[in-house]
Amino acid sequence: MTTLRPLFIPVILGTPRQGRMSEPVATFILEEIAKRDGIETTLIDIRTLSFPVTDAGEAIKDSQFSATMMRADALILVVPEYNHGYPGLLKHVLDTNLKEYIHKAVGICGVSAGGFGGTRVIENLLPVMRELGLVTIFWDGNFSNARTLFDTASKVLDPAYLKRTDKFLKELVWMAKVLRYGRENVPRE
Amino acid sequence: MSGTNKMICPDCGSEMNYHAEKLDYTAACIEPEAVDPDLGGVLAEVHTCPRCGKMGTRRAQ
Repeated sequence: MTTLRPLFIPVILGTPRQGRMSEPVATFILEEIAKRDGIETTLIDIRTLSFPVTDAGEAIKDSQFSATMMRADALILVVPEYNHGYPGLLKHVLDTNLKEYIHKAVGICGVSAGGFGGTRVIENLLPVMRELGLVTIFWDGNFSNARTLFDTASKVLDPAYLKRTDKFLKELVWMAKVLRYGRENVPRE
Repeated sequence: MSGTNKMICPDCGSEMNYHAEKLDYTAACIEPEAVDPDLGGVLAEVHTCPRCGKMGTRRAQ
């Protein structure tokens, strides 16, 4: 039965920069989703991937990354906002696949040093997600003032983030289940 | 079309569900002969196995 297979929902840490404040956010999200029954997850740190920059798209596919995207039922992107935009390397990495994303859910966590929780980077990513064939959810993760959000052990200091993240993940899991059912059982006309 | 030529899952042998088509514009640069002239790109079928979840793609037929 398809429902017995766990959902596979990787978390993509979307920046390679030194001192990145998205890293504790990604760790936090990974821990929160790993607590749920019926979910498998892994962290994909784009710093550890090595895609050439002299070409793009499917011409530079990495077989392991593609296999992970193919297996995924949904994705969580943890993305810092850089001058209102998304990191170029994240776009470069995501663009190496296309069909692998079709009819899969995606939730986005924006991270910012200021008070807007990466809302602008999330909005900028939405059309990209759509073209990749991913299905966006209507809950986001908004992590404002990132430098003061976590203690030295990467524990979130504001408990409100636990409740917000719970809502975000519940919606993502619901969408992942529905889309898996559709992919496996609902034929196109 | 899809009903008469089902993809078979390479992992478990089940018939796969054909649930999407995706137009790939980048592939048009690599395989210009495969471009659908009405759509402007290379059309791919996306299939998923209802038994094991394996995903497969092929050029639209």
